Amino acid sequence: MNAVTLAWTLLRGGGRKGMLGSVLTLAAVGVTTTLLMFAVAGNFAFADRAERTAWRTPVPAGQVETARQLSVLDMVDGRPMTVVYLTATGSGAPPVPPGMDGFPAPGELWASPELAALLERLPADQLADRFDAPVTGELGDAALVHGNELVAVVGVASDSPVLSARPLDGETVVGISEFGTDAASETYRLYQSFMAVATVLMVVPLLVFGGAAARLTVARRDQRLASLRLVGATPGQVVRVTVAEAILTALVGAVAGAILYTAVMPLLARIPIDGGPWFVADLWPPLWATGAVIVAVPLLVGLSAVVGLRRVVISPLGVARRQTPPGIRAARLLVLVAFVGAFLFMSSRFLGMGALGSLLMLVLLAGVFGAINLVGPWVVSLLGRVTALAARRPAPLLAGRRLVDDPRSAWRTVAGIALTGFVAGFTVLLSPQLTGYAEDRTLLTVSVPTTQVEAVTASVATVLPDGAKVTGTNEVEGVSLVDVETPVDSAAIDRFRTEVAQIAPGSPTMGTDDWVRFDDQLFTDVKTGVLVVLCVSILIAMVSAAVSGASSVLDRRQVYGLLHLSGTPMKVLNSARRMETLLPLAVMGGGSLACGMLMAMPFSSGGEIAGNLALLFTVVGFGVVGVVGASAVSRPLLASVMRNTPPRPD
Amino acid sequence: MTETVLSGTGLEKRFGGTVALAGVDLSIRRGETIAIMGPSGSGKSTLLHCLAGIMRPDRGEVTLLGQRVDTQSEAQRSRLRRSRFGFLFQFGQLLPELTAEENVALPLLLDGTPKPKALPPARSWFGPLGLAGLERRRPGELSGGEAQRVALARALVTGPAVVFADEPTGALDQANGAETMRILVEATKGQDSCLVLVTHDASVAAHCDRKVEVRDGRLVVDAGPGAAKPELPQRAGAW
Repeated sequence: MNAVTLAWTLLRGGGRKGMLGSVLTLAAVGVTTTLLMFAVAGNFAFADRAERTAWRTPVPAGQVETARQLSVLDMVDGRPMTVVYLTATGSGAPPVPPGMDGFPAPGELWASPELAALLERLPADQLADRFDAPVTGELGDAALVHGNELVAVVGVASDSPVLSARPLDGETVVGISEFGTDAASETYRLYQSFMAVATVLMVVPLLVFGGAAARLTVARRDQRLASLRLVGATPGQVVRVTVAEAILTALVGAVAGAILYTAVMPLLARIPIDGGPWFVADLWPPLWATGAVIVAVPLLVGLSAVVGLRRVVISPLGVARRQTPPGIRAARLLVLVAFVGAFLFMSSRFLGMGALGSLLMLVLLAGVFGAINLVGPWVVSLLGRVTALAARRPAPLLAGRRLVDDPRSAWRTVAGIALTGFVAGFTVLLSPQLTGYAEDRTLLTVSVPTTQVEAVTASVATVLPDGAKVTGTNEVEGVSLVDVETPVDSAAIDRFRTEVAQIAPGSPTMGTDDWVRFDDQLFTDVKTGVLVVLCVSILIAMVSAAVSGASSVLDRRQVYGLLHLSGTPMKVLNSARRMETLLPLAVMGGGSLACGMLMAMPFSSGGEIAGNLALLFTVVGFGVVGVVGASAVSRPLLASVMRNTPPRPD
Repeated sequence: MTETVLSGTGLEKRFGGTVALAGVDLSIRRGETIAIMGPSGSGKSTLLHCLAGIMRPDRGEVTLLGQRVDTQSEAQRSRLRRSRFGFLFQFGQLLPELTAEENVALPLLLDGTPKPKALPPARSWFGPLGLAGLERRRPGELSGGEAQRVALARALVTGPAVVFADEPTGALDQANGAETMRILVEATKGQDSCLVLVTHDASVAAHCDRKVEVRDGRLVVDAGPGAAKPELPQRAGAW
């Protein structure tokens, strides 16, 4: 009988208890795979989006200019709108923009579906008149970052005034021969680096946890495998059987996880980043990445099974000797204190230090992050010691001792929540600065040829509400920057933008509030990201709690069974198990949340954070209930172990 | 006449089509030590489980000091096992997280005694059982014989009416086994408790005052000072 056949026989013959273990392993591996795929896919999704922004940044032609391109950022209805002006030079075939059938002829307007809808909805003097052309066609997805994006591609004649515009964002007309593919927008480069950090946050605990799932398989098999050793199986054979069984289970789990990921993709696509949901196709990682995840997860589980099996292989009796573990050094705490102290000391000085200040702040933040991970097991161990010492009843005594015995395992369960909790605590207090220029007034800046300043001044009087006035004009080389202060009235401002677009096409009006809005968007996205990572961490913690709960029951099935026979009520053991999960979760999760909030306090503007806090605490509340609930999943297992264990082991 | 502490009358128990107990009567008097013997599958463990309130017999009665045990709920029987009975199994009954003294104190803790009050009586057993100095050790740091004596201390710490021991020396070598049995019997008698011991080893049973043998779910031999009249087999060739 080869290893796989024997493993299959053991798997099938495991009975109901064995089956429960297998199902738990399978579910754990499945959820791990789903979340792993999400973490991996996130990177590809951002890369896809970044790639689709690249064509908007003109790349100067190497030799022959076949077209000229000007990309500007405009605003309408309080939302950003990208406008790409194109004209063919006539010297060769111009490149076809993504999402379009051909190069736009002069007078053509190609609009994203969302923009087309807005053109229909808004009066022409607020939007449509800026283009002076009916919609020729809709831009395909290849041209858009997301479905809600406002994008226009406008074909202009080679002598159009647009091509001599001097827009405020510093863009200029560029001669091109093809559309760029590399130069993703800076914003998306930033998003991609955030996603990389989020990936580390999600993948590291997932990998550690995926390994822990293998323990379940080993835990319920070690006795049987020890028997195999007793009847003369070689260590190699025992390892092969167990690894084969673990990999078999994990492979099924990994495939199920990938299928589950496909099923939840439409839901995940709804997570709004950069003002819009995702195209579902963005969230599907390349085939090789999917394959790599499906292969890597079972291999990892198999590897962990080998490690977990050492004790069985070493001793045919399969006896685990439990002794008081060596303590973890308190010096770890000093590292954390040092980083937090340095951060707080520097917090008021970062802003004055420019780029160096930002870098230093990131380094110190990363340091705090690493130190929390370092100090985690020590705190869990300390927590266990204090709980056991102060315990007057068996449940806290047991819970405390379990924490002291294996603080790393308890930390693994809550590490993700604690680390993300720190970031969540930090970001929750930072509220977007919704206050721009003033509460009810805003400052608009127009960049027009000096000859048009009068026309703009006339528009201020006719289009903008009463009280609007030109506050200053600066002229540089025939181009004037006109500052206009106006009461906030969205429709009137859109009408003003539209009039200015007709006076000086290609140079959109921008307001101080618009720039603030871009920063706010990034900030909102960071918060969304943190919340998503927090939810993932909670899910990991839930599955981890379920798995470690089940494997600890299986590890101790003999003693639990005998305790039941001696009259020990199950509720004592359940209460100990609950405390064992809840204590580190509350102290570490809550502690790092509070630590993050403490560190953000110097930067907090104070306002607008009530909603953020409420959302965060709701998520955390659900998380706590979820994790405690997940650890209760093994209750039926405990019940069956307690009721069915014979006084003598079989 | 010495008071009857525990008695089973007309005990019957079936598992599916298999008859484990086919009408067993057994009374145990105060301070008595009794060995239940028999081959594998004879029903001796089932008899111990019924007497100890771990399982309910299909028919018959179990009484402890005149009070019915078999009619009590699972929770009541659990409480009874915790407070009035002590248990000693072959091995693996100590919680690996707890120190030896905490393991001994566990039944008191479970009954609501706070830890500071539960530990002194637990510690008081360590000297008499030859365990002095091992109070703070974990089960993994004890030898098989030491672990078994810690388990014995735990069985005795509540001053139980009856100590049930199921193959208590099964995992020990002969010398350790004999020593453990000597201590078990002495300590049980020392606090006037009864001992109900299940074993298939005659040398272990020899430590007890009285020996009963179970075959095919019936009591076939009852020998010793407190012996009742042996029940005659109803079926020829049953043993």
